[in-house]
Amino acid sequence: MKTLKRFFTLWLPVVLILLFLLFPFYWTLVTSLKPEQELYGPVTYWPQQLTFASYEKLFSEFDFLKPMGNSLLVAVCTTAITLVVSTLAAYAFTRFEFKGRRGLMVMFLTNNMFPTVLLMIPLYTIMRTIGILYTPLALILSYTTFTIPFTVWLLNGYISDLPVSLEEAAMVDGCNRAQGFIRIVMPVLIPCLISTGVYIFMQSWNEYTFATMFTNSSNRTIPVALKSLIGNLGVQWDLLTSGGIITIVPVCIMFFFAQKRLVEGLTAGAVKG
Amino acid sequence: MKKFKKITAACLTACMMATSLAACGQSGATGSTAGSAAGSQGTTAEETTITYWYWADNDDYAKTMEEMVADFNATNGKGITVVAEQQPWDGGGYSTNLLNAAIGGGGPDVASFKLTATPSFVANNLLANLDPYLETWEDKTDIADNLWNIMKEASGTESVYVMPWNTQILYVYYRPSMFEAPGIEVPTTYEEFLNACKELTVDTDGDGKIDQYGFSMRGASGGQEPWGSFIYAAGGSFEDLTSEGSVKGMQDFIDLYTNGYVPETAPNDGFQETIETNFKSGKCAMVIHHTGSYKGMVETFGDDVAAFQFPAGEGRWTSMGDTENVMLETCENKEAAFEWMKYLATGKGQETWCTVTGNVPVSTRVQQMDEFQNNVFMKASIEGIDFAGILPILDTTSDWISNIWPSTVQQALLGQITAEEAMQTLQTGLWGE
Repeated sequence: MKTLKRFFTLWLPVVLILLFLLFPFYWTLVTSLKPEQELYGPVTYWPQQLTFASYEKLFSEFDFLKPMGNSLLVAVCTTAITLVVSTLAAYAFTRFEFKGRRGLMVMFLTNNMFPTVLLMIPLYTIMRTIGILYTPLALILSYTTFTIPFTVWLLNGYISDLPVSLEEAAMVDGCNRAQGFIRIVMPVLIPCLISTGVYIFMQSWNEYTFATMFTNSSNRTIPVALKSLIGNLGVQWDLLTSGGIITIVPVCIMFFFAQKRLVEGLTAGAVKG
Repeated sequence: MKKFKKITAACLTACMMATSLAACGQSGATGSTAGSAAGSQGTTAEETTITYWYWADNDDYAKTMEEMVADFNATNGKGITVVAEQQPWDGGGYSTNLLNAAIGGGGPDVASFKLTATPSFVANNLLANLDPYLETWEDKTDIADNLWNIMKEASGTESVYVMPWNTQILYVYYRPSMFEAPGIEVPTTYEEFLNACKELTVDTDGDGKIDQYGFSMRGASGGQEPWGSFIYAAGGSFEDLTSEGSVKGMQDFIDLYTNGYVPETAPNDGFQETIETNFKSGKCAMVIHHTGSYKGMVETFGDDVAAFQFPAGEGRWTSMGDTENVMLETCENKEAAFEWMKYLATGKGQETWCTVTGNVPVSTRVQQMDEFQNNVFMKASIEGIDFAGILPILDTTSDWISNIWPSTVQQALLGQITAEEAMQTLQTGLWGE
């Protein structure tokens, strides 16, 4: 009786929710493995004939490596710049009292309130004027303008929770402020830097609106390349689905590595420190 | 297990990094679309660079465009180099991106275009007026007057800002074998068409259930295009959707459904259902669509699929899908840009693009070529050019197409509102009165 109750209250809802969440991914995978003639025929839930032709076509004719490289470059640079700048900024905001501190924090918050489409034309004009339009730098710069404020707020919470006494103890032992930050604060911050980094990476990896305006054929990123497979009169489902599957691989790898750190408590780090 | 997990993760990451870095290291882009910048780079009269934005429905079309650009660059003899950049269509977001780029002071010199975007571009003075170039262009008459008039209507002025390029004109696909069995002729009038829908709805295996319908009706999004042919044939028009003729057209449309001459799913049927599920499966004898689907039809049915233009009743209209080219006002080398637009509209580019894409040429010279005249589907399209049209381009049009038309027609088909009520809603939604 207890088992039956557990089945209906726990396992059945879990299975249903998982089915709902995972079916689109399954369908994308299955579609990418179907031969072209099966794509438009009667619905089949498993390919009658498995083929990797769409993946071959994706990397040969469509040259998907190029947008992958561009996306990786933009996402890695955006993540690195954002983390460095935001960590230092958040540390300053939490550990020092200075004039305009509150005003700056509020400004960082309001920045994220603007819908990105509103900033499209001004940013486009700025990029064009300073000569970085249609270069990866244009995307990196525009992404960091949105990720830095968010990350500063996020890290602000983490750092303000860290006891100042940890750094004070380090300074009593002979460290200066910079050494205290690098040797004591940074190791403790690693779990939240990883989780924040994963978030920034995914944002930059998947962003479309800016990418479509600030890139051209030579530096298109993955979302724009995939979107170009959806035409006015037709959709290339084979390439679109295989591209979609390939796109989620790096994100899966990142979670594979980061999952332990993502759930690791901050206090555990503090005790080690 | 833990070790295995680590090794797998490391291998996967290494593969990803290797492929991506290899991509970063690849030199430049392929073909003629490499590394362009916005705006023209006018230098001398002998050397002019024109940037061009376009979208492509698939990879083959993109390759065709690259070949056309290479051909133009090699043969124009005026030192004009076109640099083409493929942009995502993005469900129409292409026009917004072009508008943003143009307002932002960038954008290309020439761009593929949709008529529906014309008012916002013209209102912001972003398009070059083509009248001075058209006046001295010897091939202007190679494009039908009806098309030039549509271009003018779209801008709301007496000037032409948009150069016709290719069209997709709707016509009726039908299955000759289904017509032959009961001895039905291809309809030549609207009444005959309605009658054919009735005659072709049959229970072929005698089990008491209808298994062949006369017409594959599109009641969901996009259905306003074939629906428009019924309204005009019954004597109505988009200008007054509450007129007697318009209401009669709507009633005819509803009757097809309530009499069971179209599949029961019609109120929710879109492109995929009308073409793939209903017509290509052999369930329906007729469907309205354009040349974009004829290759697939022929693959499925071989010779057992043909086409005719929607017949005339009291009036005649068929929907014209359009793709044009525009020159942006910021273009510094307008003469050179116009050369490229000419190449696409009536030159070699017109032949090549329409042959590969299966779109209907706007050049009457190209229309007369054997490969278009010998194609029954293309011929049906060309026959429709003189009475083809577009929906009125108004601020309300987009919402009317996406939301008002599907929901209103679905209610009318399901008997929740009458034809008069439906047309009143559609009139108010489109014209606000």
